[in-house]
Amino acid sequence: MSAAEMLAPERVLATPVRRPGRSLRFLASELRIIFGRRRNLAGMLVLAVVPVIIAIAVKASGPSGGGDGPDFVSSITGNGLFVALAALTVEMPLFLPLAVAAVSGDAVAGEANLGTLRYLLTIPAGRTRLLAVKYAAIVIFAFVATLLVATVGTVMGLSLFGGGDMTLLSGSQTSLADGLWRILLTTGYLAVCFAALGAIGLFVSTLTEQPIAATIAVVLINVMMFILDSISQLDWLHPWLLTHWWTAFGDLLRDPIATDNISRGLLTAAVYAVVFWLAAWARFSNKDITS
Amino acid sequence: MGIFDRKPALRWLAPLAFVLVVGGTGGVVAVTASADPPLEPRTAEQLLVAMQQASVDGLSGTVVQTSDLGIPDIPGAQGSDSSLTSMVSGTHTLRVWYSAPDKARLALVGTLGESDVIKNGADLWTWSSKDNTATHRTLTPGERPSDTPEQSMTPEAAAAKVLEAISPTTEVTTNGTATVAGRSAYELLLRPKDTRSLVSEVRIAIDSEKSIPLRVQVVGVQEQPAFEVAYSSVDFGQPDAAQFDFNPPPGAKVTEAAPHPSTSKGDHKADDKAAAADRPTVVGTGWTTVLVAKTGDLQSADNPQLGQMLNSLQRVQGSWGSGRLLRGTLFSVVLTDDGRVAVGSVEPEMLYRALAR
Repeated sequence: MSAAEMLAPERVLATPVRRPGRSLRFLASELRIIFGRRRNLAGMLVLAVVPVIIAIAVKASGPSGGGDGPDFVSSITGNGLFVALAALTVEMPLFLPLAVAAVSGDAVAGEANLGTLRYLLTIPAGRTRLLAVKYAAIVIFAFVATLLVATVGTVMGLSLFGGGDMTLLSGSQTSLADGLWRILLTTGYLAVCFAALGAIGLFVSTLTEQPIAATIAVVLINVMMFILDSISQLDWLHPWLLTHWWTAFGDLLRDPIATDNISRGLLTAAVYAVVFWLAAWARFSNKDITS
Repeated sequence: MGIFDRKPALRWLAPLAFVLVVGGTGGVVAVTASADPPLEPRTAEQLLVAMQQASVDGLSGTVVQTSDLGIPDIPGAQGSDSSLTSMVSGTHTLRVWYSAPDKARLALVGTLGESDVIKNGADLWTWSSKDNTATHRTLTPGERPSDTPEQSMTPEAAAAKVLEAISPTTEVTTNGTATVAGRSAYELLLRPKDTRSLVSEVRIAIDSEKSIPLRVQVVGVQEQPAFEVAYSSVDFGQPDAAQFDFNPPPGAKVTEAAPHPSTSKGDHKADDKAAAADRPTVVGTGWTTVLVAKTGDLQSADNPQLGQMLNSLQRVQGSWGSGRLLRGTLFSVVLTDDGRVAVGSVEPEMLYRALAR
């Protein structure tokens, strides 16, 4: 949320009496709406089902898994922690971005569509603060959704396959506690990546009054970045794509952890988040709110 | 009120300004990085001697290798970029640890995968995370393992190969200084005197303090280096000793490799005679050396994609026969219809002449 802090002085000028408590209350109500919506809960249920399916499928088919499955699946029988990693890998290209796209695309366009946006703006919230709170809620959702997948995966994996030392990509072994810590780091890294996608969603959401259109646009942007990333002739473009760095989470599973790509990924995500939050701010603050 | 309230369109400057600041910061860093304090000039001979005598007590770093050899993507060589067969094209990242001649580790880093070569005392381990396999080999004293593809990937190995080629056929000069991995370096310039070579020059950046090669660039017919291997980060501290311990994880398939064939001298000579017929013929010397070898019938090989790729190559013929020509940025290859292959860092005409002999 450095973007909001950067712009905070402007807020202070606009409303001389600044009440952080009001922002927090606003955020709390925003989170209640997000996590109270049935469609969001259904979406999170789908996210949580994937690790369960992976775990049960691998358990049922036995350790015969060859190298054909998605990454990490063949390692699951050795250590249950890999269920979480396999689930994150499987959900990374579409499911988790889709969930973030649904929530972020809904952020402004959804209010406009329901006709509640003008009421939100009648209270002295200020458009900048509205966007800051909306984005904070998106970031929190991104973290909760990613953590949900990792947690369900870890619990399912440990209960079906047991724990013990975890084999890293480098072939060395690490303790269960360190394995859990690395999964937490992976979750945090991917959540930051998805939160940056959420900033794109927030911006797109200020462009339209149709939340579904915003969501579809964000998913398309996400898929388009994956497509561009797979065209080797465009390799000059790849480092600038948000999604290019997502698979770098594998570097957290090496011995020792490789930080180059991870920090580059975090930096890219931060730049995307700031740029698109500012774009949303530029668009939203001079937009005529008619609904 | 602020200017943003009077002219709301100006708000769009905020995201643009941020993009410019980020882009600008990157540019400034790049500019300041190249403006390093001048190093005292050294001659090419001094650099060569320093490089041959260089030794480091410890090193860890990241090596990035890029190749643009101008050849079609080889089917099956893509996909998992942590496997060892994928070295021919694209960009590869390698993590390196070194603390003594018998303690070294190389990790070829791929997306969600890794291949390692670990040398610790008399043990040589290779590990592949994709296949979940490990190979162990006991080295005989004095043996220098050099047959793993990764080991030819570091700037040191590349420089050693290039220096072997230094002979009266090469013009060696210095090319000022360079900055590689944030360290100042001298640059050595090697130019083949024989202008028929496709290699126009080889540049070796040598660390100004430690005298080890930090970067090797091979420039072919294009202006951009066709091949580059360079440290992107390097640290001359002693790596943690635990880096060199390798125990195959449970569940991994472990193969015990036979000792190196050169140690069993008895069978060696018999093999020699059988292999002599298939051994490549060397035509020419120095930078324009051409290798001619037998390949057998590639078209009827198991790999249909390979056959397809071969068919897409340009058809050529001459007094030497007929075949297909592959023109890369650094070398040319002719595959003849009668199952021979000629490779060299030269124009195709020289390959035809070698085939005609």
